[in-house]
Amino acid sequence: MADSNTVVGESILIKGNLEGDEDLTVQGHIEGSIQLHKTLIIEPGGVVKAEVSVANAVVSGIMVGNLLASDSVELTETGRMVGDIRAPRVIINEGALFRGQVDMGDLEMPRPSTGVKPSYRPAPRRMEPTRPRLEPVARPAPKPAPPKAAPPPKAPPKPARPEPTKVVKPPKAVGSKKKVVVKKKR
Amino acid sequence: MANVIGRSIVIDGEISGDEDLVIQGTVKGKISLKESLYVENSGVVEADIDTQNVEISGSVTGNILASEKVELKSDGRMVGDIKAPRILIADGAVFKGNVDMDR
Repeated sequence: MADSNTVVGESILIKGNLEGDEDLTVQGHIEGSIQLHKTLIIEPGGVVKAEVSVANAVVSGIMVGNLLASDSVELTETGRMVGDIRAPRVIINEGALFRGQVDMGDLEMPRPSTGVKPSYRPAPRRMEPTRPRLEPVARPAPKPAPPKAAPPPKAPPKPARPEPTKVVKPPKAVGSKKKVVVKKKR
Repeated sequence: MANVIGRSIVIDGEISGDEDLVIQGTVKGKISLKESLYVENSGVVEADIDTQNVEISGSVTGNILASEKVELKSDGRMVGDIKAPRILIADGAVFKGNVDMDR
């Protein structure tokens, strides 16, 4: 890092594209895009709202946008970032705040040796809300159905209204006592 | 006195409980704990995880929902989404997925 280092001071606001071949330290604001072959340092107080492509990035301030680094990205304890990170090395320190996607390139995951077909599917982007698990409420065992008297054979169809012979259905158990158990969980 | 799933153990199914759990073997399925989950170097987890804390030195494939903290150590490898108020990724860890630190 013997070569020069540009500092964008606290009161500076840059809007537009920024390209370069030296380290850049941001204490002020940059909006637009940044392309560097060296290291971008966003200091506490510095704000970058940009598409960023660098070799290294150290975020101690605020970074909004996508960050592509050929080497590494580090979010320090004061760093705040919203956006996606693509870099072979990504470090997130305790205290940093981050929301977005992280991609460190292709990685081989060991397959579990269960001999069962892996069932993991990439989950939808959105995580499901946490919901308290539903514990099965203890229910009384279902009572054996009361022995139903064999349905009396239907009276022969009335001669007055000759119906087409139907399959004789057992009468519905009307008013069979179904217990409704209301149990408060807790 | 943590529960340890040893190296040679392979579990395919759901694990739930109120104690810390250390995984050195293989677990596939689903893990819900009220305490901490430790995936050690030899541990392989392919599961959705719902716990308070997770510490990963082995490999995890799946989504993690933690009420406190997720820490990916330098040997840790993970593919999946993480949602937790505190998320730490150490240098050397490998990760691909979404991170959400919404509180």
